Amino acid sequence: MSTDLHFENVSVEFAGRAVLRDLSLKLDERRIAVIGSNGSGKSTFARMLNGLVTPTRGEVRVHGIDPARQPKQVRRRVGFVFSNPDAQIIMPTVAEDVAFSLRGQGLSRTEIQARVTAALDRFGLTEHADAPAQTLSGGQKQLLALCAVLIREPGLVVADEPTAYLDAANSRRIARFLLDEMPQQLVIVTHDPRLAVRCDVALRFEEGVLVDRGDPAAVVARYEEEQL
Amino acid sequence: MYRPGGGLLHRTPAGPKLLTVMALALAISLAPASPWLLAGAAALVLGGYLLTGLGLPELGRQLWGLRWLVLVMLVPQAVFLSLPAAAVNVTRVVVVVLLAALVTLTTRTEDLIDAIARALGPLRRFRVNPNRIALMLSMTITTVPVIAGFATQVREAQRARGVPVQPLAFVVPLLVMALKHSDDLADALTARGID
Repeated sequence: MSTDLHFENVSVEFAGRAVLRDLSLKLDERRIAVIGSNGSGKSTFARMLNGLVTPTRGEVRVHGIDPARQPKQVRRRVGFVFSNPDAQIIMPTVAEDVAFSLRGQGLSRTEIQARVTAALDRFGLTEHADAPAQTLSGGQKQLLALCAVLIREPGLVVADEPTAYLDAANSRRIARFLLDEMPQQLVIVTHDPRLAVRCDVALRFEEGVLVDRGDPAAVVARYEEEQL
Repeated sequence: MYRPGGGLLHRTPAGPKLLTVMALALAISLAPASPWLLAGAAALVLGGYLLTGLGLPELGRQLWGLRWLVLVMLVPQAVFLSLPAAAVNVTRVVVVVLLAALVTLTTRTEDLIDAIARALGPLRRFRVNPNRIALMLSMTITTVPVIAGFATQVREAQRARGVPVQPLAFVVPLLVMALKHSDDLADALTARGID
């Protein structure tokens, strides 16, 4: 399976306002950082990768799949982690929320139970399995969100500011998992330069335009210089 | 909310439990008021909580959680009807709520969803998707503490500015936050492959 992310003359408009303009880009790096100011179009870029946003013009291919035309296939292939962990909990308890990701995949109850148990163990959530998910701490909720995404075994994980709501310790924990332990391809939208420089390539958006791309340390350095 | 356990009620399938509680709720609501009804209902609740294996402390927690509901229902009825009539009516409601809680305490949500989806199966011929209704019910359970958290945030934001709590100034931001949350949840569902 291809790991290419391919954008061809892509523009996105909301209510007549351009939020992403004429983006042409091909990526196949494993860890991709997306940086830029607020409202620069980086979340729109990320959301196009699993079809949450469809382009007004142009064509997107994610691992060879067109998210606009094949949304179900792309969502099997692409997991999405949102910045607000509260807004991605669907089911009342921790184990049920993870198990929810496996519904409709033709797995037996025993198989689902076994996979959920293994996933919770991997994320250190076993002791909270039957706890109400909303009673977890922010860091644990984000781990739960990651667990619910990764149990579907996606080829690509898109994380939109996954550490925005977390304290320093939990941010490090989530970052270590995403950047060092997770084997999947990663697109991470972040305001944290320390996360961006650990990726293989960085993209920078401003006012809906891709203005910089390349070695993360150099892209971040140029961005920070301009911000001064 | 589900509490793990191995009691008789935990081992009973969700469907029969739901049907039994619905039948009991109907009977308790429609039966003529009498001291026997109240005594029987109280014994039923007590027995039910002992059967869960969670015991009387759980019954106490559930009752404490209903204190405001009891107050809101009891006072107006006591004023406009009579205290005995108010007590009977409120007891009926409390018993039904406590019986319903027995189901949620002893049944995993996914089992409840499956049971509800099966029960609503015949609605498919009217183009109603039972799985969607079951999912909506479980998401409602998940969302209650989130909305309660929003209410606390709005109250605290008003207090921090020294603004006295006014109904409109409380409800409008709460509604906005709830609607934003529903948008975010819709995105989360879509991202997890549920359309």
